[in-house]
Amino acid sequence: MNFALGKYVPYDTWVHRMDARAKLAATILFMVAVFFPMATWTMTLVAQGFLLLFVSFILASTKTRLRSILTSLKSLWVMVLFLLIIYVLVPKATNTLGVAWTWNGWTVYWDSFAEAARVIVRLVMMIMIAMALTSSTKPLDLTYALQWYLSPLKPLHFPVEEVAMTISIALRFIPTLLEDAMRVMRAQSSRGVDFAHGNLWKRITGLTSLIIPLFVSSFLRSEELANAMECRCYDPREKRTKYRKLHFRVSDIFLLLAMAVITAGIITISAMKIDFFALMGIVAL
Amino acid sequence: MNIAEIRHLSFAYNETKSVLHDVSFSLEEGKYYCLVGHNGSGKSTLAKCLMGLQSEFEGDIILFGLPLDRKNLFSIRSRIGIVFQNPDNQFVGSTVADDIAFGLENKRIPREKMQSIIDDFAAKTGMAEYLDREPSMLSGGQKQRVAIAGVLAMGPDLIIFDEATSMLDPKGKKEIIDLVHQLRKENPGLTILSITHDVEEAARADEVLVMNKGSILMQGKPEEVFSRIDDLKAIHLSAPFFYELRAALIERGLKIPEDIKTAEQLEEYLCR
Repeated sequence: MNFALGKYVPYDTWVHRMDARAKLAATILFMVAVFFPMATWTMTLVAQGFLLLFVSFILASTKTRLRSILTSLKSLWVMVLFLLIIYVLVPKATNTLGVAWTWNGWTVYWDSFAEAARVIVRLVMMIMIAMALTSSTKPLDLTYALQWYLSPLKPLHFPVEEVAMTISIALRFIPTLLEDAMRVMRAQSSRGVDFAHGNLWKRITGLTSLIIPLFVSSFLRSEELANAMECRCYDPREKRTKYRKLHFRVSDIFLLLAMAVITAGIITISAMKIDFFALMGIVAL
Repeated sequence: MNIAEIRHLSFAYNETKSVLHDVSFSLEEGKYYCLVGHNGSGKSTLAKCLMGLQSEFEGDIILFGLPLDRKNLFSIRSRIGIVFQNPDNQFVGSTVADDIAFGLENKRIPREKMQSIIDDFAAKTGMAEYLDREPSMLSGGQKQRVAIAGVLAMGPDLIIFDEATSMLDPKGKKEIIDLVHQLRKENPGLTILSITHDVEEAARADEVLVMNKGSILMQGKPEEVFSRIDDLKAIHLSAPFFYELRAALIERGLKIPEDIKTAEQLEEYLCR
């Protein structure tokens, strides 16, 4: 099974070495920046181009292979087609880029294509930044980061540590359960269940023969795991010490600041509808 | 000194399904016990009772001089370790180091002390090179060794192995049993209770307990227990190879001296 998105790749780059909390915050800041609209199309091109370069640089730094980036973007073409159809059929009231062509009294504007392209570029950037985060950060470190951000909720009796423990156990058991699923699938196939052929109904009923044994085995596993944890003195209500600790370094603060400045800049330009080209006396689109 | 006293222990899951009846035995400090018996004889339930996982039992369980109840549960549990059968279902951490650390975190060992404890017990169980590995990258035998390291790191006085080798291949099985013997040599005060199907393992124990239908049928040194081959056969258990062979030879009229205790000695004697 191939999940390009969300798979940790153990390299040793500066992105990998960064603190998970800084990376998580920077990712969210970047996603915010991506979504701010610009006053004109040229400004959009400049802003989105800048962000695209930025995220490409980060992703390249994590040594993620171009092929795995392309594989995870592959499924986007359905989205491209869908957006194009929507934007061509429902054009906006103001179109600044002009008419592409008219056909039988139906006008197609260039804006529709630009609009679709903008949404796609946004999505691509979101996927790229998420890839950069997940390929350079161990799931467990992400869990710790999440736990750290949620820790202010502790006085409100929000079970922060239990949630983090649950997530880390869920992550730890993904490969085990996948293995289980494969084993059940092979066992059922050898008994004549066909998962790949037949009509939809047949395939769905075939799937139940996979899901039910998987459920049963997961419940058995969870009971045994709970016993094992209890025997090793685990008590969610008691205080525990921590083996893993995240380290915030100067470089983390630096990158977080840089990201904050970029996001703040984008928001300011967007909110004040600043057009660099107009300021320089160039009339742009 | 007795570290465990079990008196008249009975346990039933419900009114019709009684699992343990009037089980009494005691465990002495520093000895290696093997508990053998058929599937469904109540071996694992007994282990669960000792760990305080089944609290609705009748009778007394006294561990380290303390009766097993809600009040003493934490202090008793922190002195007993258990290694279960399924290597996957007791691996809590996401890496080997995290899993060994899990028990330490629960016991509130300060973070500064953890790394040296983890390194120490990973080395003792031969897992020092694997500290960063995830469980999916380890074999069953390696996972069981991690489980043992995790248990040892908590500094227990009693370790229970609940069929810890039954899901392993022969090589992994042998490695785990050798590890247990090595641990015993290093920690003379450590008591081990191994629940097992493997009679060859039981032959190397200090004492053997035989369970059948929820009761302790026999308890004694391996040579005493396994000499009662007919009693074992009656409950469908076999004795280790040496005892089976010796019984078969005696049946055919051979006289075998008392001081012959292993298959090798027997071979030498027969060849003479």
